[in-house]
Amino acid sequence: MRDLGRVVGRINWLGLATITLGFALWELLLRAGFAQYQNLPAPSAIANGLVEITSSGQLFADTRHTLLSVLVGWTAALVLGVVSGLLLGASSTLRRYSLASIEVLRPMPGIAFAPVALLLFGFSLQMELMVIILPALWPVLINTMGAVLGVHARLFEVGRTFRLSQGEILRKIMLPAALPGVLVGARLSMTLALVLAIVAEMVGNPAGLGYAVVREQQAMRPELVFAYVVVIGALGVILNAALTGAVAVLFPAASGRLREAG
Amino acid sequence: MDRQQSNRGIAGQLRSVLASLPPARGLLPLIVLLLVWQMLQPGPSPYFPGPLQWWTATVTMFGREHLIAAFGATTWTFLEGLLLAIVAGTGLGLLVGISDRAARALQPLLEFMRAIPPPVTVPVASLLIGYSESMKLTVVVLSALWPILLNATSAVRQIDPLLLDVARSFRLTAWQRMRRIILPAIVPSLLLGIRIAIPLAIVVTLLVEMLTSLPGIGALMIRSQRNFQSSEVYALLVLVGLFGFVVNDLFAVIEGVIMRRWPPRS
Repeated sequence: MRDLGRVVGRINWLGLATITLGFALWELLLRAGFAQYQNLPAPSAIANGLVEITSSGQLFADTRHTLLSVLVGWTAALVLGVVSGLLLGASSTLRRYSLASIEVLRPMPGIAFAPVALLLFGFSLQMELMVIILPALWPVLINTMGAVLGVHARLFEVGRTFRLSQGEILRKIMLPAALPGVLVGARLSMTLALVLAIVAEMVGNPAGLGYAVVREQQAMRPELVFAYVVVIGALGVILNAALTGAVAVLFPAASGRLREAG
Repeated sequence: MDRQQSNRGIAGQLRSVLASLPPARGLLPLIVLLLVWQMLQPGPSPYFPGPLQWWTATVTMFGREHLIAAFGATTWTFLEGLLLAIVAGTGLGLLVGISDRAARALQPLLEFMRAIPPPVTVPVASLLIGYSESMKLTVVVLSALWPILLNATSAVRQIDPLLLDVARSFRLTAWQRMRRIILPAIVPSLLLGIRIAIPLAIVVTLLVEMLTSLPGIGALMIRSQRNFQSSEVYALLVLVGLFGFVVNDLFAVIEGVIMRRWPPRS
């Protein structure tokens, strides 16, 4: 009971009230004809649009496509980023002979890969994945490498004193020490993956939520455009919350630092 | 012990000299990749034209002169959008952050706005404003605004209340308080927000140009791709990469210069 009270107390009622009031005002102004913007739907119309795409099943199909692309692309970026980040963190030779290349490639805007990906793969899922994976790789790689470099040298000495094998040093020292960095990178990369999936669907692969927004814009259905925008925003919030929640359950020790980095 | 000492002798010297060199040898993998690419595919190709072909395409595009104009348009939109976002974000962030109640009231709304991936602002703005230069600018401002605004807000809220009490005891006017205490306190967070906003602004600038064919590098990229001018597509990719690199490093320099006047962060 006290828990419930604490939860209720922690809800930002003022903030919720502001949002509700804002929507009410928006609706009223449009209804009363004070504000008459072309193509600006009222909140009630957007809600109807949401019902329409939900009941037709379109929303489900679009969301499933985007969600799958994001998860597949993000997982690939995570695996590639962690492996190369660990290698770079462990070997100074490797770092010396590749860090400058990484620093040249990293600030490349992710969207710039879209035309090349279109050239190579056409309007396809592969194109979308290429646009997601390449840019989403960097935050994981850099954060993993940084975390490995941040491991105190004495820990490795301790490992050597205990005659741990290379594999054991990796498993017992490097991985646990790098974990917080990996998680911070994973979270940044997840946000990026969603943005890039939407971009790829807008300019390339004609599927998913990104394509749906452009499609409804060209069909002049503003209420559906706004409905999809709401869904995309909610998807971002949900993905982020799911990741933070999963981290809190799986790695409670690392979750505090993740929130700080948020 | 002995071995370590001798290590610090000749080998150590060599290593420190090498380490003090610019890390250009880190470019080796990239150079090898391009060389191998060139050797495997020296001529034009619909998918993987050789790097020398990219260079030829760049020169041709410069010759046709629209390249410079396109770069100008993209750079201008990006800079103008970023500057407007910095001004608006700082202003609004201050307004929201100064009042505790306003911050509580607006926080959920602002957080949701930030959670919306910036690319979706493009179709929405196309609907409401239509295809125009002002739409391009609006979209860039809206994508760069949130990180700056939210960072400014939280920085204002984290100012030590003692500092504000000091300001009150010295009877500083509101303007003096703003200039002497609040603005200096939020600069580091503001710079952080801007660093997050820069890549977003670049991506959205290019996206608008790709989707609406308003003049700029993004439009050029899509046109080259639609005409299957693969060398041009790669050439533009390199140019955009350089653009990102230069903007990134330029901002790092600016940030360094500004931060020199601030105490180091703990």
